[in-house]
Amino acid sequence: MSKATWPQMLRVMAGVLVTALAAGWVADGGELQAGTRKADAGYLTPVEAKFSVDGTRLYVVCEDADALLVVDVRTKKVVQRVAVGHKPKDVAQSPSGQRLYVSNEWSDNVTEIDAKTLQVTRTIPAGWGPIGLTTERSGKTLYVANSIGNDVSVIELATGAEKKRLASWRSPHNVLLSRDGRYVFVSNMLGHLGPWDQAPVSELTVIDAEKQIVAQRIQVPGVIELRHVAEGPAAEGDDLIIPFLRPKNLNPLIQVSNGWILTHGILVLHPSRAAKGGYEVAQVLLDDIDAYYAGANGVAFTPDGSRVLVTASEANVVSVIDSVKLKQRIKAVPAEQLANRLDSAATLILKRLETGANPTAVAVSRRGDRAYVVNRLDDSLTVVNLTSTRVEGRIDLGGPKEESTLRKGEKLFHSAKFCFQGQFACVTCHPDNHIDGVSWNLETPELGKDRVANRTLRGIAETAPYKWNGHNPDLETQCGPRIAKFLFHSEGFDKEQLADLVAFIKSIPIPPNRHLAADGQLTLSQERGKNIFFQKNCDNCHPPATHYTALRSFDVGTANKYDTSGMFDVPQLDRIYEKPPYLHNGEALTLEEIWTVFNNEDKHGVTSDMTKEQLNDLIEFLKTL
Amino acid sequence: MKYRQIALGTVTGLMLLLCAQSRAQESPIYTRWENFTSANGMPDDKVFQAAVDGKRVWAGTENGLVLIEKGKVQKVYKPEDGLANRVVTGIAVDSASGDVWLATFGGLSRLSGGEFKNYKNLSSGLANDIVYAVAVQGEFVWAATTAGISRLNTRTGEWAIFSEKNAPMHEPWSYGIAVTDKKVYFAVWGGGLLEYDIAGGWWKPYNDPDGEMEIVLFQNQGLLHDIVSNVAYNPQTNMVWASTYFGLSGYDGHNWHNYLSTDSALASDFINAVQSRGDGVWACTDKGLSYLNFKTGEWITYRSAEKGSGGEIVITTADKKVEHRQSNTTLAHNYVLNMTFQGEDIWVATAKGLSHGMREPNHQSNKEGNRNEHKSASR
Repeated sequence: MSKATWPQMLRVMAGVLVTALAAGWVADGGELQAGTRKADAGYLTPVEAKFSVDGTRLYVVCEDADALLVVDVRTKKVVQRVAVGHKPKDVAQSPSGQRLYVSNEWSDNVTEIDAKTLQVTRTIPAGWGPIGLTTERSGKTLYVANSIGNDVSVIELATGAEKKRLASWRSPHNVLLSRDGRYVFVSNMLGHLGPWDQAPVSELTVIDAEKQIVAQRIQVPGVIELRHVAEGPAAEGDDLIIPFLRPKNLNPLIQVSNGWILTHGILVLHPSRAAKGGYEVAQVLLDDIDAYYAGANGVAFTPDGSRVLVTASEANVVSVIDSVKLKQRIKAVPAEQLANRLDSAATLILKRLETGANPTAVAVSRRGDRAYVVNRLDDSLTVVNLTSTRVEGRIDLGGPKEESTLRKGEKLFHSAKFCFQGQFACVTCHPDNHIDGVSWNLETPELGKDRVANRTLRGIAETAPYKWNGHNPDLETQCGPRIAKFLFHSEGFDKEQLADLVAFIKSIPIPPNRHLAADGQLTLSQERGKNIFFQKNCDNCHPPATHYTALRSFDVGTANKYDTSGMFDVPQLDRIYEKPPYLHNGEALTLEEIWTVFNNEDKHGVTSDMTKEQLNDLIEFLKTL
Repeated sequence: MKYRQIALGTVTGLMLLLCAQSRAQESPIYTRWENFTSANGMPDDKVFQAAVDGKRVWAGTENGLVLIEKGKVQKVYKPEDGLANRVVTGIAVDSASGDVWLATFGGLSRLSGGEFKNYKNLSSGLANDIVYAVAVQGEFVWAATTAGISRLNTRTGEWAIFSEKNAPMHEPWSYGIAVTDKKVYFAVWGGGLLEYDIAGGWWKPYNDPDGEMEIVLFQNQGLLHDIVSNVAYNPQTNMVWASTYFGLSGYDGHNWHNYLSTDSALASDFINAVQSRGDGVWACTDKGLSYLNFKTGEWITYRSAEKGSGGEIVITTADKKVEHRQSNTTLAHNYVLNMTFQGEDIWVATAKGLSHGMREPNHQSNKEGNRNEHKSASR
């Protein structure tokens, strides 16, 4: 037996350690932590509701309970609870209503349920991170938006086999089949990966349901976080409405006290008369001049199209819009002005109705007499009487009555009331506890100075210090005085609130790794990449034992002329593939660019001697972390 | 009784043979040509490849991507529209997704829903930005580059590179790709023809057995030459065809079938590309477009007439009988870079324009739109 040298042995040990950590972290981050949260609280956390085809039931998807609840609309009672996959996000029905399909974001599949017996009939594999879904008119095909895969699965329901995947854009979320059955609309949460110093551009992906191909990509400048999609009745012009966030990320965020930094509203897409198949797109803000309605999310038309309901999930409000006045407003104000006008809401909002905490979705009854708002952090539905335009009552879905520390913290995380004029909450820039995909001029008042890319909050409990400059030693500092002073421009959270908020943020789990095999076995490419990772001493700054961050700052030559300092906190690498753009300012749009474009001086590891094949292998390994 | 059965069998056999020969002998004659050049909307005369997408035709030119529909240039895409580079050398239409993949001299582009997404050497795992060919095979996109073959898994985003480092190539410069359900074939400059088995992940190289650059010692011994400019696979005959700058090679899985201009009616040994379907093999040469009916041995070559504006069609039967025909219209240029099929019509990429070839009027043509309304560019 040959004697191994110490460096060889260390390398082997490091290899074993990294493989074990990589494998273990899936269980730890993906399953155990999420499970811990549920065991801690037992909350339901409803996120979506859809009416049954006959209108007698509401199907409510509960992401923390891994369940679909069936609510009898007449008795306002939960009549059944069906166990589904992990982290369910949406429900669709077959055209007849006989089958239900629930997307399971963390199981990467869809649960099929017999609507009559409410028995699970099969589990259908989907892509990575399925969220929105719909059947088409014949009921033969299911479209599923895969938020992590950035694509749409086209599934043949007769066999449960995936026929194809169509490329969406970034983080496709909600899906709607057009009333005429010709198109499937897919909204994308994150904007295009583009220049770091430009405003974002988002996309509505339009799929031709007959040909099953992407027919159109409607580009919408200046907005992100496209959410639910609603289609107005044909008599009202087949308009599409999609809530959005319009961030002024090129302005210093410190100017929040001047207002108008983060605005919230709806896209109104009107079928174009000039261009067949095209749309005239208008952006209408739903904020008032001195009071914002953050978290525009759920949307629904009344059957006659006279009203539109839009939830403000971070303001705990549902806004009721007069459709006629909305059209008048769009006609009266030029589109380029309308997107930035804060005086629109006063002309078209009929009422703002208070809901429960974190209203994410809204469903209107077929008769149009009532709307049901899903209160994600209240485990309830708010019932709105649309005749009187008043809140009529509340349906308790059955969650715990006591608020745990984590639930209190999560509510604070989703509440915009702590920000000046309610412009934003923590979650506004960290949707799904993650990133908004844009770079921000955060604290430096000078335009364009010290711009930083948004960082995820998933799995950050053990990654202190915080901020790109590493100046905040703990989350209490980060979320307490710093947020109050520089971001919210308010008094911020009191001591107890801060403790709850920090506890919640620390509990945010890391999602499952889609690039690592279930048994943790690396592919040949990943294995080669792992060797490169250690040969190149990447672990000096990205040690496996601490989420691949040395928990301190280094100057790796990535600063540009707009940066005050070249020292940046080493980011953790968990699920790095979910976090583009990269580097402190988001200049690197892909992992490759970190080394091919922004490491010319070999300060970010000596990588200029690497072949293209080696770089590809290294990246394949990084994706397994 | 026995003799009657034999006689009947013989007669039936002869009839079937005659029918088969009759069918096989029906070689297509393209007498009408419509040319698309800079005179009628093309951004550049040099056309590298055309690809059929239902009723639409895409053309890759030296100065942009062209969409032709209803007999007209409908749209031209350039870098300012998002295309990776103005030089579009290869096109692959993904019939499942409807996306169009483009090989360019500045990377790989995907056109989907009217928007481009680009994959470049610096921003993705693509081996090199000089891409000569692209092909789609299920969830994989293959790209032939000057630094090897790149494969993108569109579902996982994983890139793989195959070059002289991990595949039996003399050098990585790759020119052409042909995909089948189980195999992928590559035309490699100086490296011959490569076969990749998808399930097994193994390679099988086909090289010039005599190793001589300029001569062919034994005609059907193997691949004619190691400089392979392009490759085509015919699913009907299960044959793979390789175009070289020194002749045409076909392989049926057991035997090689090689053709040189000196011993066949092939227009030229300098062949830029080859395509094949049914009994037909099309060689895109520097001296016109040659068609071989592999079953009958008949050749038809299309080229412009030496004098006048018309075309010359040279039909050479297997027994070397030569017939010359004239056509009023002809290819845009004799330097043919590639070709493709649209129903019974063909589209031919040449150095001086894109040519749409249609068969005799008694044959059905797939021509789109109102022919009378279209003003064809004259040669």
